[in-house]
Amino acid sequence: MTEAPQPAFDPRMLEALICPLTHGPLTYDAEQQELVSRSAGLAFPIRGGIPVMLEDEARRLD
Amino acid sequence: MTQDPDRPTHFGNETVRESEKAGRVRGVFTSVASKYDIMNDVMSAGVHRIWKDAMMDWLAPRPGQRLLDVAGGTGDIAFRFLKRAGTGHATVLDLTEGMLVAGRKRAEADRMADSLDWVVGDAMALPFADNSFDVYTISFGIRNVTRPQDALAEAFRVLRPGGRLMVLEFSHLPNAALQKAYDLYSFNVIPRMGQMIAGDRASYQYLVESIRRFPDQETFLGMVRDAGFGNAKYRNLSMGIAALHSGWKL
Repeated sequence: MTEAPQPAFDPRMLEALICPLTHGPLTYDAEQQELVSRSAGLAFPIRGGIPVMLEDEARRLD
Repeated sequence: MTQDPDRPTHFGNETVRESEKAGRVRGVFTSVASKYDIMNDVMSAGVHRIWKDAMMDWLAPRPGQRLLDVAGGTGDIAFRFLKRAGTGHATVLDLTEGMLVAGRKRAEADRMADSLDWVVGDAMALPFADNSFDVYTISFGIRNVTRPQDALAEAFRVLRPGGRLMVLEFSHLPNAALQKAYDLYSFNVIPRMGQMIAGDRASYQYLVESIRRFPDQETFLGMVRDAGFGNAKYRNLSMGIAALHSGWKL
């Protein structure tokens, strides 16, 4: 049995998404599958093509 | 509104710290995600479908509109909206990843994939710019939000001027005898059905307790007005077992 491939993140979504904390812009890191908010110093994960825009789930940038 | 993480709030009939509530709510919906649609059918004898259709009747989606459906979980509202609008776009936001994954697996999601986005997020801190949607809906979700007034403020922010808010939520029956009969049903029957169908009594116990604790129609109408919405009104569904609240960003 092989799992169906996970749907990919659609970069067009970036037009609508902003940082939920600062309302600043996000940049898409395709390799890490993250949406990076420089203004908040956070990287929000994208899992199975779905952006997870929760502070609790975000990685703190160094 | 103040954000004290240690401030007490309710989780069903339990008292928990505000900072804990979202995690607990996510636990419930992660637990019920795969059986959520079938449980809704069983618990309400299919009536939740009629209520959601009533929501669409009042909302009257128009072609090209952009919808944000918060706590949209398995896509029930977004699919209905897109079918009625003909053309348009729906963003489904939910606190729980598992609910969105369940929604995206549904056949309608495939057919409408180009018109749908799925986002995990918090109703009190939306990841969208001001004035970006024509319609904001939240269906059986706002009672699970830690601070519903903050969620309404965010709804107002992301709606464009002229945009429409529509809230579908369990509410209160107009007289004590009916409310008592309904409480007997909900507190005795629903957690048992949750156990039988989803193998999860505790999550359904939370659901009935949270329904009972949610503000009544007039109180919630005041909250909608306090958030800035104009021409705010409500309609009872099934005598008030559920209610629809509508408001406009004027």
